[in-house]
Amino acid sequence: MPDATKSATRPNMERATELTLPNLATITEIRDLATNIKLIQVQLDDLDVRKKFTYTPGQFVEISVFGVGESPFGLASSSDRGSKIDFAVSRVGTVTDALFRLDVGDQIGMRGPLGNGFPMEEFKGKNILVLGGGIGGAPLRPIIQTIFDNREDYGTVTILWAARSPDLLVFTEEYDEWCAQPDVEMYLTVDNAPEGWEHEEGLITALIEKINPSPKNTITVTCGPPIMIKFTMMTLEKLGFQPKQNWVTLEAKMKCGIGKCGRCNLGEVYICTDGPVFCFENVQGFLESFV
Amino acid sequence: MKVLTQKKLNAWLANLLQTTVVAAPVEAQGKLVYRKIDEVSQIVLDFERTDMSPKTWLFPMTEPILFIEQGVETKLKEPPKPEPIVLFGVRPCDARSLLAFDALFLDKAPEDPQYARHRESTTLVGLSCPQMWESCFCTAVGGAPNSTDGLDILLTQIEEGYAVEVLTEKGKKISANLVFEEKKTSLPDPKLIQGLPSLSKTDEWMALFNDLYWEQLSNSCLSCRACSFVCPTCRCFDVRDELTAIKPGLKKFERLRAWDTCTASGYRRIAGGHNPRDSQKKRLRNRFFCKFMFYPDDFGPLGCVGCGRCIDVCPAGIDILEVIANVEKMTEREKVGG
Repeated sequence: MPDATKSATRPNMERATELTLPNLATITEIRDLATNIKLIQVQLDDLDVRKKFTYTPGQFVEISVFGVGESPFGLASSSDRGSKIDFAVSRVGTVTDALFRLDVGDQIGMRGPLGNGFPMEEFKGKNILVLGGGIGGAPLRPIIQTIFDNREDYGTVTILWAARSPDLLVFTEEYDEWCAQPDVEMYLTVDNAPEGWEHEEGLITALIEKINPSPKNTITVTCGPPIMIKFTMMTLEKLGFQPKQNWVTLEAKMKCGIGKCGRCNLGEVYICTDGPVFCFENVQGFLESFV
Repeated sequence: MKVLTQKKLNAWLANLLQTTVVAAPVEAQGKLVYRKIDEVSQIVLDFERTDMSPKTWLFPMTEPILFIEQGVETKLKEPPKPEPIVLFGVRPCDARSLLAFDALFLDKAPEDPQYARHRESTTLVGLSCPQMWESCFCTAVGGAPNSTDGLDILLTQIEEGYAVEVLTEKGKKISANLVFEEKKTSLPDPKLIQGLPSLSKTDEWMALFNDLYWEQLSNSCLSCRACSFVCPTCRCFDVRDELTAIKPGLKKFERLRAWDTCTASGYRRIAGGHNPRDSQKKRLRNRFFCKFMFYPDDFGPLGCVGCGRCIDVCPAGIDILEVIANVEKMTEREKVGG
């Protein structure tokens, strides 16, 4: 059996009730990230819970809209930036549709943090290539924030952001701030460029090949649709990246998030508890394909 | 050997009924299921296997796992601990299925609070099978018609009535008032089915994951999900909220957990619509691999206890024992070929 948990950070799972019972949280801010994608910021109501609720980039939560249901969302902010917690919502189902109707001040439930996270310690001293597709950029934002908050600990940062069209690129208003950081390069690409588009056109794989990043002392982090992850990994390998240099975060519609409901397994690997962050070297060894 | 006559057993059960909930095999709409009984006479004792396993008492088809009240404040309440229950007449295979549940719901952190509440409240009184029935294969998956695994008390039918094995503290507690006759008698050997295939090891299953066999096998599957429905070890579930009361300024909801199954076409679909298990072949394969490779690798016990219910209910004739036999054959073939 492949060791799915290689090096990924494993927070403790002892606090059973906090993982199985939703904590109440209040929406503090809602903003449009892209067409049909919102960023929702919440703060946990209970002060003790708030203090204890720390998380690693890559971890996720189960969000409840009471009366509608619960769905998993990747955390989109760094735990070190305070007690306000961000997650991105794309309107694709009943829970996300209900989240779209909520306002600042409304209460939701939040269970977590769940899953592992990116091994930020292991990334120290390395150049980081961040590859985000569509709303897949959201769970990568905490990595970007963590690197910028500890800038000397990491090498160069290259961010490649892709989407089907410009209106689907997320966190556009933060690009200037990100690019103002030392040793940061950022590239944007869309599948279909409208007239006047000043950035790249085409798939993220074409952009990677064009930039031709050096694999030397570099790790990559990728989040996006399964098909994007598949071809991105192939392109990186072509450019000389070893699968052990590439980290991905996978998604599934976990009902429980704690390895019980059986909804997210890939063979004997559970995305919710063994992941969602995996080293691609391990993903290659999975019996069942994620694509 | 502790022995109880039928009469004494009935008196004991009648006595238990005074103080605790007892569920036992009863006939309901032509099916044999575990239901709460009011009188001892309702119990069906002469049966092979029940149509539904007693898992319905520890992992009900649908049950609330959270009560939600939304008014000025939002209040969340976990379900109370269920009242103590004695599950009577549990077949040894079904008792073993609870050990598979324990490994997942209790031993693998974090514990599932709702299952834990049920488990703690339940005492299991088993009834040995005098023989393996048609479609039974408990011995091929580590069980036996007279296995004590997972039970608190095991009863075995003998000429004088029942031989009683009190196995746990819980068992002792409910049998404390019983006065047994001590007899020098040995337990009868159950009649076994010989020549069952032997179960291949998990790595042998792994080697066959991409075999064409799964495609062929799934061609006849109708996706009716009956196999999962009657399975004592299937535990995939769905969670959804339901409105239960509405008053001015106050809404009440229940968060319900309900059985679901990996053989359902959309079960593994993700938010963007992508489905990594998009064919019948992949779904049926997952069902068998879960039972014989993933579950034991991840949690310890096998995900099958050999009750044979899925064989009986499958309208397409898909036979899990045949699958085990074919995997054994293919494994042999690989070994010879390799």
